[in-house]
This record gives sequence, C-alpha cells and structure tokens, in this order.
Amino acid sequence: MSFFDKLFGKKSTSASVAKDRLTIMLSHERVNCKLPYLNDLKNDILKVIKKYTSVSDVKITSSNNQNLDVIELEITLGKK
Amino acid sequence: MGIIITVTSGKGGVGKSTTTANLAVGLANLGQKVVAIDFDIGLRNLDMILGLENRIVYDVVDVMEGRCNLSQALINDKKAKSLYFLPASQTKDKDVLDREKVKKLLLGLKKSFDIVLIDSPAGIESGFEHSIFLADRALIISTPDVSSVRDADRVIGIIDAKSEKAKEGKDVEKHVIINRIKPSMVDAGNMLSTEDVLSILALPLIGVILDEEDIIGSTNMGIPIIYKEKSMAAEGYRRICKRILGEEVEFLDIHAKKGFFKKISGIFK
Repeated sequence: MSFFDKLFGKKSTSASVAKDRLTIMLSHERVNCKLPYLNDLKNDILKVIKKYTSVSDVKITSSNNQNLDVIELEITLGKK
Repeated sequence: MGIIITVTSGKGGVGKSTTTANLAVGLANLGQKVVAIDFDIGLRNLDMILGLENRIVYDVVDVMEGRCNLSQALINDKKAKSLYFLPASQTKDKDVLDREKVKKLLLGLKKSFDIVLIDSPAGIESGFEHSIFLADRALIISTPDVSSVRDADRVIGIIDAKSEKAKEGKDVEKHVIINRIKPSMVDAGNMLSTEDVLSILALPLIGVILDEEDIIGSTNMGIPIIYKEKSMAAEGYRRICKRILGEEVEFLDIHAKKGFFKKISGIFK
C-alpha cells in the first residue's frame, strides 16, 4: 500500500486478498498433487479400520517440512 | 528435427487459441517453418481465429485414421507462407484420439517442421494428455484471476506426470504467459499483478499480453492481431516469439500512463 492509501486509511486491495487466498489454497492443493495415491490409501486404510471398529471416516493429511514428507493419520474412535 | 510446443491453461476461455494463432503467425514471420495443430476435438476454433475455416477439407483425425495424406489435410496460410495449419475434427467423440496414432503424427511433423505448435483443449482429461505427452516445451496461459491461476497451477503440476520427456529424466521447459492484463486495474490494486501471478505459479515468464479491445476485432475478421504494427498486445506476442527462439528481449513496460496525482503519490510509495 502506498503512503497515500495509508494516510486515508484505505483497506487492503482486492488483488492482495486474491493473492493471499490463492497462496493458501494452492499450498494445500499442491501437497495432494504430490501424492496422487492419497485417496486410494485413505480408502484402503478405512477398509481395515472398519473391520475392527465402527469408525466411518479417517482423516489423512500430508505435509512437508524441509526435507521430510509426512502423512498424518487421525482416527477418532468416538466419545466415551 | 523440430520441437513440439504445447499451449495450455487448464481453464477454458483464457486465450489459448488466440495465443496459438498469434504465436504461429509470429514464428512463421521470423522465418520458422511452423505447423499449428488444433487438438480441441469436437470444439474446433483455431481455424476461425486464423481465418482459414473455409479451406478445411480434412482434419487431424482423418490424418490419424488414414482417410487422407498429411499433405492433403495441411492448410497453408494465406499470408504467412511458412505457416501450416491442421484443424481439429468436429466429431462428437472427444476420446477419438489414440495415443500411438498421436505419437506417429507428431513425430512425423517434427521431422518436417521447425516448430509444431499444439493448441491444447481446456481441462485435464485425455485430450489435454494427448497434447502434452510429447511436448518439448509448454506455454501455460493464465489470466490474472483466481480461477485461472488456480487451474494453471494444477496443470503445471500434472505436465511432468504426463510427459514422456519427463519420464526419460529430461525437463519439459515451462513458461507462463499472462494474458488480458489491465495495467490500470493492477495499479489500483483490483487485479493481480504480473509479479503476483509469477510468485504464485513459481515459473519463469515468457510474456505479458495486454487486454486490448482490438483483439476481439481481429478475431472477428480472422486476422490475428500480431499483424497490427501499433498494438501493444501484438508487440507482446512478437516479443514472445523472439524469446521462444532464444533471443533476449526486454519485457514491455505495461504500466498505465500515470496522471499528475498518481505521479505525486508515487513519490511517497
């Protein structure tokens, strides 16, 4: 934002909002794109889990931290 | 041996065919022997932008199915003498292309042309895959809006997965063309800037095309805008052509002509 924009208290521009939204969205999408088997993996894991529990959904997220690619698996067994 | 350059975008309506037509003419005018192929099976359009729609007898599917010779289907441009055009088929079945036949056709064309320019269909389905799997280079078109940038990013992620060159461990050279940019809107903060788009897509730029009303007129007439001497969009295309051929050309200064107040406020930025 320019000096004048700040002076008159102008809000952030729609272009900067677009850039932020895209950056966040794509950082999620790119991770999924890197592991094309993620969905199949999730379905297979779910099949196994279902054999033992009544869980109907598992949450898989992948992230990369420097040189490490990580897949996180979260299974909620239900409330006690 | 020529090279295969695929023009693609993911999203439809961002100017793939217009870009293909203008680059084809521009490259031919720089002395290259060019063949432009429309791979948008079922939705043929490049013919009208090039102004060659009345001369079509056979199409790309006829060639691949052996219903005619390649030379019977190739249409020589009226003005750019070293430009040839191979139209898309208007068949309803868009899955009609066969990978092996596409390969045979493209490798054959590569032998007799300097540049094989492919206009890819929108989307990421089989038509897109056929247009990209033999590409040496890819030009990814994006307009400065969220849907187009997002789809372009997706396509960029898929290109290497579909490419034969990438499977051999070589790089498919990828460049971004930013189309339909409006400098006054960028300056007002209402449109993503060239820098914004590039930082998101993380690929090198090969050119920026201004949004000009004349482009509609040139499409109406079937005369690509690149023939217009004074058009900024045409200049953008001409510079991309030179860069494709390895020449280093300055990027156009697209910023809107500033008024007095803007100039003053610019000092305080």
